[in-house]
Amino acid sequence: MNDTSNVSSTAKLAPTMKLLTLNHGSYPRIGNSPEEQLLRRTIALRDRGEKSDAEVRVAEDHMVVLALQEQEDAGIDIITDGLVRWNDPISHLAGKLRGIRIDGLLRFFDTNFYFRQPVIEEKIARSRPLVVDEFRWAVERSHRPVKPVLTGPYTLTRLSLRQAGAGDIESVVMSFAEALGAEVAELGAAGARMIQIDEPALLSCPADRRLACAALKFVAAQKGRAELALALYFADAAPLYATLQDLAFDILILDFTYSSKLAQVIESEGGIKQLGLGLLDGRNTRLEDQTAVLHQLEAMLRQVKPGHAYLTTSCGLEYLPRDRARLKLRHLTSIKRAFLGEVG
Amino acid sequence: MSRSKLRHLGIDLPLLPTTSVGSFPKPDYLVKARADFNQGKIRAVDLEEAEKQAIEFWIGKQEELGVDVLVDGEMYRGDMVAYFADQLSGFEQGGLVRSYGNRYYHKPIIVGEVKWKGPITVKWWRYAQGLTSKPVKGIVTGAYTLMDWSFNEFYATRRHACLALAKEVRKEVEALIRAGCKVIQIDEPAISARPDELPLAIEAMQTTTQDFEAYFITHICYGDFASIYPGMLDLAVDNFDLEMSNSGLDMLRLFRKKAFTKDISYGVVDVHSHFVEERSTVEERLKKGLEILPRENVWVDPDCGLKTRTVDEAIAKLRMAVSVARIFREA
Repeated sequence: MNDTSNVSSTAKLAPTMKLLTLNHGSYPRIGNSPEEQLLRRTIALRDRGEKSDAEVRVAEDHMVVLALQEQEDAGIDIITDGLVRWNDPISHLAGKLRGIRIDGLLRFFDTNFYFRQPVIEEKIARSRPLVVDEFRWAVERSHRPVKPVLTGPYTLTRLSLRQAGAGDIESVVMSFAEALGAEVAELGAAGARMIQIDEPALLSCPADRRLACAALKFVAAQKGRAELALALYFADAAPLYATLQDLAFDILILDFTYSSKLAQVIESEGGIKQLGLGLLDGRNTRLEDQTAVLHQLEAMLRQVKPGHAYLTTSCGLEYLPRDRARLKLRHLTSIKRAFLGEVG
Repeated sequence: MSRSKLRHLGIDLPLLPTTSVGSFPKPDYLVKARADFNQGKIRAVDLEEAEKQAIEFWIGKQEELGVDVLVDGEMYRGDMVAYFADQLSGFEQGGLVRSYGNRYYHKPIIVGEVKWKGPITVKWWRYAQGLTSKPVKGIVTGAYTLMDWSFNEFYATRRHACLALAKEVRKEVEALIRAGCKVIQIDEPAISARPDELPLAIEAMQTTTQDFEAYFITHICYGDFASIYPGMLDLAVDNFDLEMSNSGLDMLRLFRKKAFTKDISYGVVDVHSHFVEERSTVEERLKKGLEILPRENVWVDPDCGLKTRTVDEAIAKLRMAVSVARIFREA
């Protein structure tokens, strides 16, 4: 599985192509040990009136520190706070915006994870930061660069219900874009060097591509000196790959688990963006064959703009048990080292 | 068509028969017994006694409410996938993953060839059926959902895993039929999540049910039905148990465009709200359904399993569904 004898040609790429590992986004906020169950226990006690919101925040803090440590211990170059404080990728952000109330549960794409659906009752407005405080908190406790993550305007719109006072879909998408643009600007000012926008709905609703791209362009205009990454997952990105080159994003983070064609498209078309290659399945515990991943890396990275490329998982790691998420992170590091010829 | 099949099986149901999807909340004494068992404080036989007591309670309650096709309430199950994975070879229990909010479950991992080792639900079905003269549904989780809601470290592809599971689930179905079960529900909530895999789900269902003499229901919920309808009608079952109310009767729009051609267990109460809907609301839901669905083909039930409600809420919601069905039956 870890045979690297066939990667000599791969190693030759190293001088021009730097490869870094990044944690895609979420990280399990629970594990098997009592310490790793602190947050679940504290929330359950809070819900029974036996703990306070402040005590839940302390438990969240503890779990964020654990997530940061585990990513660092695994050798990941660019880490996240694990999105540990997030109830889900939709309501955590939408619930902080004016004009929105949070309603019942809906399935999150094709996963067995459920999010609380926002109901947009009137024009959306950002009256307070969404994740800036969480970002600052994590940065102070990390030894590696921390990447903040936001769910994109189109995905937030698609997974919300619009009531009469909300306006049409175009105005809702652009209102989310305004709010997220302000957040991106503030994150940049707070020192974020890379900011990730997740837009899985863009792949599942390609008919709205123009609308989604207009909103993303608006968000990207606020990035300042930060690098902006667009993460697309839970569907095949191959049909959109050429279009994605036109977006004002610096990095494309792509899920390779839905189609074997995506790698072929990149090999044949190249590209001008830095790539985040989600070659390890973030939704299955099986560890990928290292040699196969190395060959894919070699083939794709020969065709794209020299510079940084990123090796990551297909999506956030919260869909895996904690012990397996840890193994995936270590596998990323191991593959990166083999690619760079660091394996003895 | 399916009503004649039911009669052929010896089951004579009234117009708009009532049922429920499967799970009911566990009474407090059973919750405590399960916790005590997990901590080694009581024996398996003591837990089983509590489970039987709870089944008896729910069978009695359904009879009292006038439900036509009963369920055992799944008092012996935790999670609908882990329960079966625990009893098939080829699985190991995975660590905890989040379902939503602060809810987590152990997601199984397929680590070897999956094999049916022997009857899984038959003992419980026999026990429940022995408590009533009304038909009790046998309920199993379908192959597609078992595959989709497990990690797979053994089979080369999702398709290989799904079809291997279908062959083993079929053995459980066969065991239920041999025991005398005539109404069998194959739960497939995952089917609506990946429309591109509907052909695989159809193939797996065919493998599971073909050539058996039983009335088959499948329960599907919380997904993108627009993308799998009408293709889902090719699933080899007689009846689709669907959550109509939670989705604001959206599916009726689909049924208007293309006729729903099978029997339907029509969810008239939402299972995710604590309050019991007004009678007029529930009546309106059923009325709208009966405007486009043939009465002969409609069963009435809650949207989904009631296990997340309290015992009192579950009873109240079931009572409402039954009473509204009666109104329309007698109209």
